[in-house]
Amino acid sequence: MPPLISDEDPGAVSRRGFLQLLGGIAAAGLEGCFRAPAGEIVPYVRTPEGAVPGNPLHYATALSLDGFALGVVATSYEGRPVKIEGNPLHPESLGATRIFEQASLFQLYDPARARDALERGEPRAWRTFLDATGKRARELRSRRGAGLWFLLEPGASPTIAALRARLQEALPECRLRSWSALAPDAASAGARIAFGRPLEARIAPARAEVIAVLDDDFAQDHVREARELADRRVPGPQLCRLYVAEARPSATGTLADHRLPIRAGRIEALAVALVKTLADRLPSPPELRALRVSVGPEEARWVQALAADLASRPGAGLVVAGRRQPPAVHAAAHAVNALLGNLGASVTFRAPLLHDPLAGRAVIAELAAAMAAGAVDTLVVSAYNPCFGAPPELDFAAKLLQVPFSVYLGARADETAAAATWFLPAAHPFETWGDARGSDGTASIVQPLLAPLFGGVSEVDLLAAFLGDPRPAHEIVRATWSASRPAPDFGAFWQRSLQRGVVDGTATPEVRPEPRWDAIAGALHAAAPAASGPIELDLYPDAKVFDGRFAPNRWLQELPDPVTKQTWGNAALLAPATAQRLGIGTGDHLRLVVGAQVVTVPALLLPGTAEDAVALALGYGGSEAPADHRGGDGYRLRGRGQDWIVPGVRVEPAGGREELAITQGHFRLEGRDLARQVTVAELPSLGGVEVPLSIYPPVDYPGHRWGLSIDLARCTGCSACVMACASENNTPVVGHAEVVLGREMHWLRIDRYLEGPDAAPEAITMPLMCVHCEDAPCEYVCPVNATVHSDEGLNEMIYNRCVGTRYCSNNCPYKVRRFNFLDWGYQKGPVLRMLQNPDVTVRSRGVMEKCTYCVQRIERARIDAQVSGRTLRDGDIRTACQQACPTRAIVFGDLADAGSEVSRLHRDRRAYALLGELGTRPRTLHLARVKNPNPALAEG
Amino acid sequence: MRPLFPPGSNSVFRLVLVGAALSVVTLVAAPMIYVRSPLHTDENHVVAQPIDFDHRHHVRDDGIDCRFCHFSVETSPSAGLPATDVCLGCHAQIWNKSPLLAPLRRSFFTGEPLHWKRVSRVPDFVYFDHAIHVAKGVGCETCHGRVDQMPAIAQKAPLTMGWCLDCHRDPAPNLRPRSAITAMGWKPEGDPRRLGEALMTAYHVHTRTSCTACHR
Repeated sequence: MPPLISDEDPGAVSRRGFLQLLGGIAAAGLEGCFRAPAGEIVPYVRTPEGAVPGNPLHYATALSLDGFALGVVATSYEGRPVKIEGNPLHPESLGATRIFEQASLFQLYDPARARDALERGEPRAWRTFLDATGKRARELRSRRGAGLWFLLEPGASPTIAALRARLQEALPECRLRSWSALAPDAASAGARIAFGRPLEARIAPARAEVIAVLDDDFAQDHVREARELADRRVPGPQLCRLYVAEARPSATGTLADHRLPIRAGRIEALAVALVKTLADRLPSPPELRALRVSVGPEEARWVQALAADLASRPGAGLVVAGRRQPPAVHAAAHAVNALLGNLGASVTFRAPLLHDPLAGRAVIAELAAAMAAGAVDTLVVSAYNPCFGAPPELDFAAKLLQVPFSVYLGARADETAAAATWFLPAAHPFETWGDARGSDGTASIVQPLLAPLFGGVSEVDLLAAFLGDPRPAHEIVRATWSASRPAPDFGAFWQRSLQRGVVDGTATPEVRPEPRWDAIAGALHAAAPAASGPIELDLYPDAKVFDGRFAPNRWLQELPDPVTKQTWGNAALLAPATAQRLGIGTGDHLRLVVGAQVVTVPALLLPGTAEDAVALALGYGGSEAPADHRGGDGYRLRGRGQDWIVPGVRVEPAGGREELAITQGHFRLEGRDLARQVTVAELPSLGGVEVPLSIYPPVDYPGHRWGLSIDLARCTGCSACVMACASENNTPVVGHAEVVLGREMHWLRIDRYLEGPDAAPEAITMPLMCVHCEDAPCEYVCPVNATVHSDEGLNEMIYNRCVGTRYCSNNCPYKVRRFNFLDWGYQKGPVLRMLQNPDVTVRSRGVMEKCTYCVQRIERARIDAQVSGRTLRDGDIRTACQQACPTRAIVFGDLADAGSEVSRLHRDRRAYALLGELGTRPRTLHLARVKNPNPALAEG
Repeated sequence: MRPLFPPGSNSVFRLVLVGAALSVVTLVAAPMIYVRSPLHTDENHVVAQPIDFDHRHHVRDDGIDCRFCHFSVETSPSAGLPATDVCLGCHAQIWNKSPLLAPLRRSFFTGEPLHWKRVSRVPDFVYFDHAIHVAKGVGCETCHGRVDQMPAIAQKAPLTMGWCLDCHRDPAPNLRPRSAITAMGWKPEGDPRRLGEALMTAYHVHTRTSCTACHR
């Protein structure tokens, strides 16, 4: 049935519409009197190996982002992938995922994905492209590849490496380059300063007792690093102390014991001060002791405390620099780590795994210069959308139009597709063969789960076309791996690699570099002194859309940002004090002016942002972003040769204002004890959970008693759990307008609360979903028994009984119930419908819904156990949020089993019942967060 | 003068009163009866299938076990329908020229699967699982009836929630040893309730009536 109320304007109901609605309700009432037509059963013609209809299959594969792979396990029903989990065998996944891997399914089924190969906008067959390329390649071969350029996605794939080598051999004068708008070139340059070569650093927070982070967000960006950090945030001898200096609040900063809001442009001076302070304390080369310190008194105090802390634990500290910081900061971080003896312990180095150590501004500027000189007649692009992400002064799109033969491989027909002569739709990683490496070198074979939905080819196919290699990608990848392995063993090796998702023994060896003190000292002497002055613009990689490739992804657009809680679009983040001075409030439109470039975005006041700085997430504002809420394009502001920190931006009110779709209304705890946080010293005063008095008779649960615990000490707020929950439970996307009305549908939300002054608040994140109260307020008020208790203590929600009074939601003190105001679940097209988990009901309009503790997983695990004649063990059932959580903050299990992990956590002295004074007796307990402050920095 | 109301009026008025009361009851009761009747539950309703498959012949005459074709009944929520190549395992040899089986051969050679019409159907919000019922000793016949006597398959149980709950509250009378799961016309020896209760212990049968046991 089509929606009777228009989705666009749900508020406006005309008299005619109202009567139609009444008629519809009457018809809906009658509908129950007739049986729906029986469906069809369509068996296979030939049953595929291993397939049992109704039971899912699990395939190990890998998803690459930012050059490196994360191993995943895809759950597939009848050839239809519906859920992504991390691969426990993969060293970078450890069984968990980030939001990108969870949301990659939407990328796969996105109905707006490009479907046709285009030559100047006209659809063409792949065969036609091969003919055109073959002709071109013969021509190029005659002139040894001169004029041929490749601009590839950064990566470390062994197969791509082999194809690149073959291309370089066949066409010696062709240029093979990688490019990304977010390339961490400064890290590479920093390593070159410090060690004389561009080594890749890999941090291990597990081996650090004091961690200093200079403008990096590794807890958001990397699963393994977040896990290692979280393992050190729980009380015990391993508890670390975390210092974070950053301009914009990040997930890592949320965890910090001491967070210093500082303009990103001053971090270079802060790093110099840290090197100098430590050099004075420790045996060190004289050139470091000669450094000049230019930071202010508050920053100096922070540096002193940090340096003392680091120096007291030699070999067990860690300094991390972020990709936005200039090479000198990376060199300084290496210098500190070297001085403290951390090299080889908390930070290890490898020879570069990426095909090209540099893949940023220098590369695309070189290409643009060659294009301007007419030295490029064939350009092959598989990097994401250079016409969008290239620095504005290069005018890349206009230059691309002048290239006689250009090919762009992309997921969508975006800006670059419009300017290239040929556009090829890219296959999703779940549709192709390939391989990739994790950041430690561990290789994974990428295997397809289904045939390309809309056609589409991969980078391997594209490079093979230029080599004239007619083999399919499958054979090319196999050939890469069989080259080094003798034939008799290869079959078993291949099977094992595919099954496990990792290729054994492929981690690359560490190198132990020697710091070059003179070069480091030279770079630090040349470092910019701590400047203040006009407002600085901080461009940063977005937690949701990455470089813009995920901007069309509606799952990610609707996901609240881990820090700002904004959905649908970006905003200019400002410290409240700065905004007050400029006379700006949240939602006011701002003009950001850098040189000739002007971008208009709404402002968002975010306590904890550095003063005199304005931060803008990159990746929004492209042509493929949702049309109504594109956001502002930060790439256009990458002026003055600066990619990340642009000094002297002009900020002026633009006149308009809009309502931002922010899912949290109030960020202050107002002295309430909701998200509980204590210092280590206060820890003994916690007494665990007491059971409140109740007038209700106790209920006996003879079997399992399901329960959950959420450890706030571990939670980074990264939101992977929210995305996993939405994927597992068929949560609909409602759109910007409905989120503004407060109708977002995520069952799991992460509240972020602030305490302390606006200039430097402490933040705490608290995941919250239905807590499954023993005495549930929702159950007492439901007039139709649609929400009741199960024999195992679950607070059940029965959709087919629900009549939509919403009494339950009104009576829920946790506000975790979600109501289907419109038929969001059913309004998906035939392609998006393939995304739905067949184990979970798709809810229709007028029905309340909420977290079920993933009851479908409980029942499936129970049935699997009983059918195979064993009993359920602790860990057999993991909820979707628990499985995705990079830091293991969420633990589900049986409270009736005293030995289970969740029982142990419920007995922890840090455990508390959220709003326990109401007598709801929640089955979900939170564990208080612990801070480990440095007494030297204590207030007063 | 003739009275305005003849003597029979009182009786008519009483009948009208009774009739009105009855019709109110009927308005409520009739739909309730209707949804429980085979008219609505589709019991015994034969659906035209792409091939006139005869269970009577395959089960009774040939003695083929249910699980030969419905191969996933012990491991999957779905009992499974045989793939075309399973049918052709026999029918490539016997009746391989029969015009009745032309759709089967067409399916095999074109790769286009057969579209069978569903007979036993539960609503979308019911998550029925064959594997667990078979593991707990619920026979095929208990829900699907004497399939060995059906030339054309039809639904034999009402498949209403009340019918499900009858067994979920008291499973003992409907259990049988796993060795007789696919047997047709099986009768318990001795006291049926004693056997059922023994099987409940042996197979760890728990009476689950929580909503989420079936609705998720």
